[in-house]
Amino acid sequence: MALRELKVCLLGETGVGKSSIVWRFVEDSFDPNINPTIGASFMTKTVQYQNELHKFLIWDTAGQERFRALAPMYYRGSAAAIIVYDITKEESFQTLKNWVKELRQHGPPNIVVAIAGNKCDLGDAREVTEKDAKDFADSIHAIFVETSAKNAININEVFREISQRIPVAEASGAAAGKGFKLRRQPSDTRRSCC
Amino acid sequence: MDPLENAEPQGYKWGKGTDDSASRTAWARFSSWLECVCVVTFDLEFGQAIELVYPQDVKLTEKEKTSICYLSFPDSYSGCLGDTQFSFRLRQSVGQRGSWFGSEDTYSGDAPVTLQRDLAHYFGYVYFRQVKDVSVKRGYFQKSLVFISRLPYVSLFQSLLQLVAPEFFEKLEPCLEAVCNEIDQWPAPVPGVTLNLPVMGVVMQVRIPTKNDKLGGSPLKQAHKENLLPAPVVLPTVHELDLFRCFQSLLIHIQMLWELALLGEPLVVMAPSPTTCSETVLALVSSIAPLKYCCDYRPYFTIHDSEFKEYTTRTQAPPNVILGVTNPFFIKTFQYWPHVIRLGDLKMSGDLPKQVKVKKLAKLKSLDTKPGVYTAYKTFLHKDKALIKRLLKGIQRKRPSEVQCAILRRHLLELTQSFIIPLERYLASLMPLQKSVTPWKTPPQIRPFSQEEFMKTLEHAGPQLTSVLKGDWMGLYRRFFRSPNFDGWFRLRHREMTQKLECLHLEVISEADLAAWIQDKSEVEIVDLVLKLREKLTKARRQQLPVKEEVLQKQEKHVETVICSLPEDLQAVLLRR
Repeated sequence: MALRELKVCLLGETGVGKSSIVWRFVEDSFDPNINPTIGASFMTKTVQYQNELHKFLIWDTAGQERFRALAPMYYRGSAAAIIVYDITKEESFQTLKNWVKELRQHGPPNIVVAIAGNKCDLGDAREVTEKDAKDFADSIHAIFVETSAKNAININEVFREISQRIPVAEASGAAAGKGFKLRRQPSDTRRSCC
Repeated sequence: MDPLENAEPQGYKWGKGTDDSASRTAWARFSSWLECVCVVTFDLEFGQAIELVYPQDVKLTEKEKTSICYLSFPDSYSGCLGDTQFSFRLRQSVGQRGSWFGSEDTYSGDAPVTLQRDLAHYFGYVYFRQVKDVSVKRGYFQKSLVFISRLPYVSLFQSLLQLVAPEFFEKLEPCLEAVCNEIDQWPAPVPGVTLNLPVMGVVMQVRIPTKNDKLGGSPLKQAHKENLLPAPVVLPTVHELDLFRCFQSLLIHIQMLWELALLGEPLVVMAPSPTTCSETVLALVSSIAPLKYCCDYRPYFTIHDSEFKEYTTRTQAPPNVILGVTNPFFIKTFQYWPHVIRLGDLKMSGDLPKQVKVKKLAKLKSLDTKPGVYTAYKTFLHKDKALIKRLLKGIQRKRPSEVQCAILRRHLLELTQSFIIPLERYLASLMPLQKSVTPWKTPPQIRPFSQEEFMKTLEHAGPQLTSVLKGDWMGLYRRFFRSPNFDGWFRLRHREMTQKLECLHLEVISEADLAAWIQDKSEVEIVDLVLKLREKLTKARRQQLPVKEEVLQKQEKHVETVICSLPEDLQAVLLRR
């Protein structure tokens, strides 16, 4: 079975639950009291997608402002970015739009973008409607899901959708139609094993 | 390898406690690679000063900090503009001890002797940047990012610096904080294992050598055999330098360099830049691998060094050290040293790197002394002209540097092995016969090393069996016996043999019929036996002797059985202990 390594980075405001999403995906657990990430954390998880194995190399970045300038190191060469906001914080959704802008300007040309509205278990405190977020995601051809790392809702689905949108290996010209298309350029993260 | 095996998280860590003890354990993984990371800057009032250090609670003495400051900047004479990378080695202050020692014997047990953690020194790996900057009073931006480690992984840490430093100079403290936290998620170095080391958005992949590696093989090939996933940055080695590049103006003297390193001769390498002097010193030290270079060496040494006085006093003979220096002032200081290598900027003669000449020491006087090897030393062995020809031809034919380096490395390895195999063989013959190890007696002694007896073995089993090099091998051995490198090698081997003997003894005892033996023995003798066996067990566990756990357990059983054979009052006494 073919194995592909996919670099994925998580971006978004501090406290929206980036690390919790990764922790849920990789370890299937949840800790309500985790400390803010410093710099970035790195984890991997391999899943099967059709007749391929996808090894996600996940760079979970720090949301704090002082680490803001480091982000390019982590989205550089990424096959996908998961931008996370907190559905109970309107401001975090505005921050997300800035991340989309930055990725457009400086990110890899055909990076797959997924938008995750986290903390959907806190519906009562909702500040961002699902429709607004969905419309925005559609307008930029991004994956959209509302997630809850706490209740394990839609976490695996985000990664599954990323797998779906990643262009088929080697045939870099054919696929990627649904991606976050800006410019085209073969990505060197997809080189297969020697 | 099952790709899914790697699926588990790599050292995930959720935040760090704020109290002292928690923060120490939080840096545990970081500490298995680095002692600390320092940023050294130039302060107009104080000169060089440490601006930042991670982890903040690292235990360095004031003296160590001062030394790090001086060693992290090129001498003002070397005028390095732009980015400069080099390495230094620094003696640890007396009484200082790292926190992790003892917990990591698995590393020291399996790593080659040349890659052991240095318990008495720190290595410093420096990335220095000096650029024009009108906003600074001095007109220049001058700063160094320095990794301090116990590990002689020059290649790994210099590659890491190449990745990290340029980003750091732009993004400053948060970048450093991020990098240190990422290193703190790295798996600890384990000999024989290829590791994935994530840092700043890339994954570096490198294999840690073991003492059981087949020498002379290409480390790159070994990595491929393990069928690992493609990583963006594959480092072929943690510690090896490009010997060919380091020695390119000294190729015709390679035999002399090897002998000087082997004999631990006092040697100074004077070069125009700290990069050249530090790489040359490290190359010299590594040229006798797999033998460990047991003397002190300082890839970059300055007049501010705390050992400056100790090493340059004229009241005693020059010490057995290799020093790398850039300050021309040292020419005067070292004019009494037996061997000084003066390197200049690399010059080409035609399409070949110009080779420096051997010169008389008397000519070593003025600051503008010409490049050359200033020594009266005559090599014991003849130089390998075929090798030199091959390397020089290789340059003309534009053979890739890695291939040239491999040829040179193989030559040096074969030379060292030819030299050391007769010694190993003779040493093995000093081991008592296995059948002389019996359960009822203390293990027999290893016979003493006799130089004359060894010399007699050379006639039939000398280096001529494996090396084509002619010359005075006997003389070379005699001189080697007086060097610290022989002493270091012999002590290490002797300790290994003693442990081996102890293991054999334990095995023999565990197989012995103790019940039969104690039948006609007095109580005193039996109690004595119990105490002796117990001591042996404790020692075996404490020294982590390479003996099977079953052997130890069997012996514990023996002790219990023997105790049970004794009268009850004695049993109680022995069991209470």
